[in-house]
Amino acid sequence: MSKITVAGVRGSVSELLDYSENTKKRNFLETVELQVGLKNYDTQRDKRFSGTVKLPQVPRPNMTICVFGDAHDVDRAKHIGVDAMSVDDLKKLNKNKKLIKKLAKKYNAFIASEVLIKQVPRLLGPQLSKAGKFPTPVSHADDLYGKITEVRSTIKFQLKKVLCLAVAVGNVGMDEDQLVTQIMIASNFLVSLLKKHWQNVGSLVIKSTMGPSFRIY
Amino acid sequence: MPKRRRAALLPSNIALLQNLIRRDPGSYKEEFLVQYRHYATQKEILATNPGGFHDAEAFIDQIGFIAQVCTCYPNETKEYPEDLADLLRKHHTVLPVELREKIVQSLVLLRNRGSIASERLIQIIFPLLTTTNSKTFRKDIYATLVRLLKHANRNTKAPKLNRTVQTLLFTLLESSDGAAAAPDGLWAAKLTRELWRRSIWDDPRTVEIMKQAALHGNTKVAIAGVSFFLGVDREREKAERKKRGLVDDDNSSDASSDDDEGDKPQVAGIKHRIGVNKKTGKRARKLEAAMRALKKKGKGAALPTQLNFSAIHLLHDPQGFAERLFGQTLSRGSGNKFTLEQRIQVLNLVSRLIGVHKLSVLGVYSYLLKYLTPKQRNVTQFMAATAQASHDLVPPDVLSPVIRKIADEFVSDGVAAEVAAAGLNTIREILTRNPLAIEADLLQDLTAYKGSKSKSVMMAARSLIGLYREVAPEMLSRKDRGKIASMEMSATAAAGQAKKLQYGVENIVEGIPGLELLEQWRKEQGLDKDDTEDAATKEAVDDDDAWNIDISDSEASEGGWIDVESDVEYNVSDDEGGIQDDHNTDTEDDGDDDDSDKEEDVEEKQPEAKRAKTEDAVQTLMATKILTPADFQKLEELRTKAGLDKILHGGKAAAAMQHEDTVDATSLLGPKTGKANKMERMAAVMEGREDRQFGSKKSKKDNQPHSTTNKEKARKKNFIMMIHKRDVQGKNKKSLRDKQKVLRAHIEKQKKSKGKH
Repeated sequence: MSKITVAGVRGSVSELLDYSENTKKRNFLETVELQVGLKNYDTQRDKRFSGTVKLPQVPRPNMTICVFGDAHDVDRAKHIGVDAMSVDDLKKLNKNKKLIKKLAKKYNAFIASEVLIKQVPRLLGPQLSKAGKFPTPVSHADDLYGKITEVRSTIKFQLKKVLCLAVAVGNVGMDEDQLVTQIMIASNFLVSLLKKHWQNVGSLVIKSTMGPSFRIY
Repeated sequence: MPKRRRAALLPSNIALLQNLIRRDPGSYKEEFLVQYRHYATQKEILATNPGGFHDAEAFIDQIGFIAQVCTCYPNETKEYPEDLADLLRKHHTVLPVELREKIVQSLVLLRNRGSIASERLIQIIFPLLTTTNSKTFRKDIYATLVRLLKHANRNTKAPKLNRTVQTLLFTLLESSDGAAAAPDGLWAAKLTRELWRRSIWDDPRTVEIMKQAALHGNTKVAIAGVSFFLGVDREREKAERKKRGLVDDDNSSDASSDDDEGDKPQVAGIKHRIGVNKKTGKRARKLEAAMRALKKKGKGAALPTQLNFSAIHLLHDPQGFAERLFGQTLSRGSGNKFTLEQRIQVLNLVSRLIGVHKLSVLGVYSYLLKYLTPKQRNVTQFMAATAQASHDLVPPDVLSPVIRKIADEFVSDGVAAEVAAAGLNTIREILTRNPLAIEADLLQDLTAYKGSKSKSVMMAARSLIGLYREVAPEMLSRKDRGKIASMEMSATAAAGQAKKLQYGVENIVEGIPGLELLEQWRKEQGLDKDDTEDAATKEAVDDDDAWNIDISDSEASEGGWIDVESDVEYNVSDDEGGIQDDHNTDTEDDGDDDDSDKEEDVEEKQPEAKRAKTEDAVQTLMATKILTPADFQKLEELRTKAGLDKILHGGKAAAAMQHEDTVDATSLLGPKTGKANKMERMAAVMEGREDRQFGSKKSKKDNQPHSTTNKEKARKKNFIMMIHKRDVQGKNKKSLRDKQKVLRAHIEKQKKSKGKH
């Protein structure tokens, strides 16, 4: 496909939604994923890119988050109804690799209060950053709930060992317009990250968790 | 039935028999069987007394003969390959050299003919690599292995074969670890490196082999592994470039490179012929066709996207690797197995791993602390390693002692200028990667060196100032901030959105920088109308243009792109260079800044609202329109105009944060000032001369390989054949005057040519 149009994306999105709502409805909320294949990308010469963009909607509402906080933040987190751990809780893990791995697996993202975050590498070792889940800082002045939604609605593009990547951009619970918007923002952002922009993009595909894939570029 | 020749029946005339068998295997079966039996008995004799075997030559011939024809009699020669393998395995130490070589050759031949599988061949010859004592034989086997793998992976990768070999290498490394036979591991490292260099192997498994080598108990093997990670990718790139013909090198032994070059001379030849011969339509068409073919081939070659990730990127579990490497070779318990140079190499690798993968190996920093003194040998290497090992996820309280130590040891009034410059440059390199690692007062102390008399120190201090103007101007003293930075500061403070540096916020691109500029531009151009039908259709048409035009445009004007890039870089280096330049840009930018100030004044009352508004607009643009290549081009333009490029890729701070590059130890010393000494001058001269060839054109032409010229032929012709010719006879019959004339002329000529030299 030589170019991507809004109408084309809209068509694919409606087909995708149709499949996962009418043809084969699953017992869980399917996530919609944007899969990207890159081309003409010289990984030696061009830097590996990484970037984050905030989407208007939360792509994965079920994302679990844990707050590492001082007393104040723990209280706030409990108030919102988010899991929280204090310094003592973290110390209890005792740098035990297995426990920390378990912790890293249990949550999708972490938030840490500003005073605590500097200790995180000491307390927890490399396991969190290894899993790509290094906490985001939050200060007392910030709105914790806002921060949590921000973390939830932020997606990250990062090139790893292969020339393709995939990010969750939405779910089938969203309506068509929302989903189109999410996809457009994500793809526009991704293309802006690439050195030669569209010339670096081999393919763009959207796919729900268990549905068929639709190529949009 | 062909006519039988008696000579073929002679048991000794193997070559003839081979020829006949090739033509008609069926009728010469009897003769072949005779030969085969003879070979079998010879083999038996050999097996009983391998050392004292005399009739090697005949046996060699026989082995070659059977290998050549054994495809004709597959049933009769079923055991033949295994026999050879057996022979080689059991007696390779005592066999005569030629016989050994012949057996290996025959086995390779059998593989080429398909009688044995590649895997089997490798299983046969691979153990010999480590068990044999002969250097030449080892070399042979090594070359055979490389060739075999190269051929197997020529068109498509041969995963099965690769896997077998890799497993063999793994076991070789494992078994040799700690044992007396440790150097065997070197062969594994060597083979892997060679295959990686040729891009025959480029998968994570290969990297795992080298990882294991790097962690090997034997020092030599370990260093081989470490240097693989440090240097092999540059090697591979060079090899690739050579292959593509970007670097023309005469001694390219690669068969594949020869294939590639086949077409160019063809086009050149046609062009030449057109220039010389009559121009006809047919010849022109021929040239066109050749050009087309060449273009097509070029495209095809570039088409498959190569997955050329560097070895460091492909590592599985880099954290574990870095920790083990550090623990085994560097930390205190490891003993002093390694020399300082070797330790520096390992440290270099560890620091690169930490930098590239953003690992946290906190022990490294305290380890480095010990070595960061001006008196330490090779201290710049340690400094480079320190800079490479820092990234934005290292806790600032771990890095700040390192910075403090460098500041104390290197940057003080009592030290030489180079030392201070090196210290300041190192600190800058560390801080570009982790700007939080320094306190404001120490930073201000360091920036005070901007007034140093030594140029290199002054420049280093200024570059530090330049860095903090970008990332955290509030940490600089007031007058160091510069106009732009302080204005930006006051603007953001007024808007209540001062962006403070914060640990844990990875410095990566968020959103599309400068998109609001594009939005504004579009509004000015009247492209953004309400979503009426008309606008939508118009948009669609525009869209088409934007996509189509740009694709051809950008392909054609590749050079233009590069120009822009280099411009940006130039600006950056200026920034680094000094503050005067900054002032220049200040004055240039004045107009724009004033404008923005006015706007600020107007809307200062509701900054929040304004911010929300612009963000909204950006979101809608991103959400409703797919940015075409034309849009991106425009965006770039606008960004450059607004000086925003600093933030994106031009900004050295931003670039360095995701910086995966190595830090060059020599660059830390800063630019060399003062006159170059003789050696440096000569080096520069020699570098300039590298590609030039001196001497007359004629001598160059004569030295080139060419067929015998007429002149040469005449000179070398047998004198007896010439003696009666008039040319020769005439010389004798010349009058005295003529003779004198010739002699005089000759003497004159000699004198002239002597005077020249």
